[in-house]
Amino acid sequence: MEAIERNLREEAKRLLAEKKVDVIVGYEAGTLPLTATPTFITDPAEAERLVWNPLCVHNLAKYVHDVITQHRNSQKRVKPESRTRKVVGVVARGCTSRSIILHLQERQYGREDIVIIGVPCQGYIDRKKLSVSLNGEEVLSGTIEGDEIKVMTGTGEKRLRLSDVLADNCITCRFNNPIISDVSLGEPASAMKAEEEFNEVNAFEQLSSDERWAYFEKEMAKCIRCYACRQACPSCYCPECFVEQSRPQWVGIGGDASDTQVFQIMRIFHMVGRCVDCGSCIAVCPMGVDLRKFLKKLDKDAFELFGSRAGSSLEDPPVLSTFKEHECEDFIYNP
Amino acid sequence: MSEEQGKATWDPKIIAIVCNWCTYAGADLAGISRIQYPPNVRIVRVPCTGRINPFYIVRALQEGADGVLVSGCHPGECHYLTGNLSARRKFAMLKKFLDYIGVESDRTTFTWCSASEGERFAKVVRGVTEKVRSVGPARRLVKSL
Repeated sequence: MEAIERNLREEAKRLLAEKKVDVIVGYEAGTLPLTATPTFITDPAEAERLVWNPLCVHNLAKYVHDVITQHRNSQKRVKPESRTRKVVGVVARGCTSRSIILHLQERQYGREDIVIIGVPCQGYIDRKKLSVSLNGEEVLSGTIEGDEIKVMTGTGEKRLRLSDVLADNCITCRFNNPIISDVSLGEPASAMKAEEEFNEVNAFEQLSSDERWAYFEKEMAKCIRCYACRQACPSCYCPECFVEQSRPQWVGIGGDASDTQVFQIMRIFHMVGRCVDCGSCIAVCPMGVDLRKFLKKLDKDAFELFGSRAGSSLEDPPVLSTFKEHECEDFIYNP
Repeated sequence: MSEEQGKATWDPKIIAIVCNWCTYAGADLAGISRIQYPPNVRIVRVPCTGRINPFYIVRALQEGADGVLVSGCHPGECHYLTGNLSARRKFAMLKKFLDYIGVESDRTTFTWCSASEGERFAKVVRGVTEKVRSVGPARRLVKSL
């Protein structure tokens, strides 16, 4: 981990100094103990701020998209001959690289606009799990040593196993190494428990319709519609989201439970073939809604019906933008 | 009307979203040919099944439809060549997803029906009405006003 971090800083410094990139999107230590936060580095001297550790939760593809779109919009007011391009370097693990592939496939920016610094990933720490294992006590300070976390709380020092607090999506991650990268740092990481990735969905499918609805209703009742999931999701980049459109108004804005359910159904359904299971929406959700159970179902169906995994290859087209002449005919009703 | 009375007189309300070129003409043919079918469907005409946003279906269920029927041209016969093939992928995913979250799978139906199949359209509507009748009035996802 330290070696990767050292390489990362050197590589970032070199890319910035050689003017290969204008900005590096990476992670730096957060202001709270045991956190990391996205950072934007433009000065080679500041590359020392970059970190890479299991606290890096965010999917940086979101920020890459934001930076490039903002820059492109700012150039609209500039004379065509003096317009500039901004090349963004990004620290990308598996899920970030998949999101970048999706952006490229959806023509959000060109391959020449980004430099991908690929890092192997062994998962990140789920803050909610961490909080539960500390019985909700505040983290005063903490360090990660190998596969152990040493946490200092008000009641004393605690040691936790890293594997106990990894996020669910990381434990069963199939793509923990970057799929595309310009610069690779470190050896590819060892595989996670990818064969168990659909276990949760399979178990849920076994429940009766009433039980599934009861669970869905219960989870969605928690949602306060702060739209944090949408803000954090790298696949949610519409300039105007359907929830804010008023002509027609797609989703009611009242307190009715069905409005929230419909909002969630549609946001989740927009992720068909576009969710890379990075866990950003779950990490930012203040109410702890179990979104993954529903998002993963789409991943499973798209894989089983069409053999497609979101962002798993630059050549495979997104699942809903292509078709075959004969496929999935069994759901068609024939009286 | 009390709730009990409402249940006793309940008859399914079904939204049929059909494509202009095949199923709408097929429904027209059923009408011209005086083929009898249940009056429970409310037909919404769209240019092509590929035009249908999955949101239409979810929204219809939220607004109180007991069932949604989507029908278009047979695969390979789309007026816009491939609209229904793109739609098929979308709907395959949607039907599975709605079933997964607990909206009964009999409420959403997808089928193909060409302009010459008036008899088939009537059969589809009969079948769908029976299916929806057997699951009863919509309770899930419905907006309470």
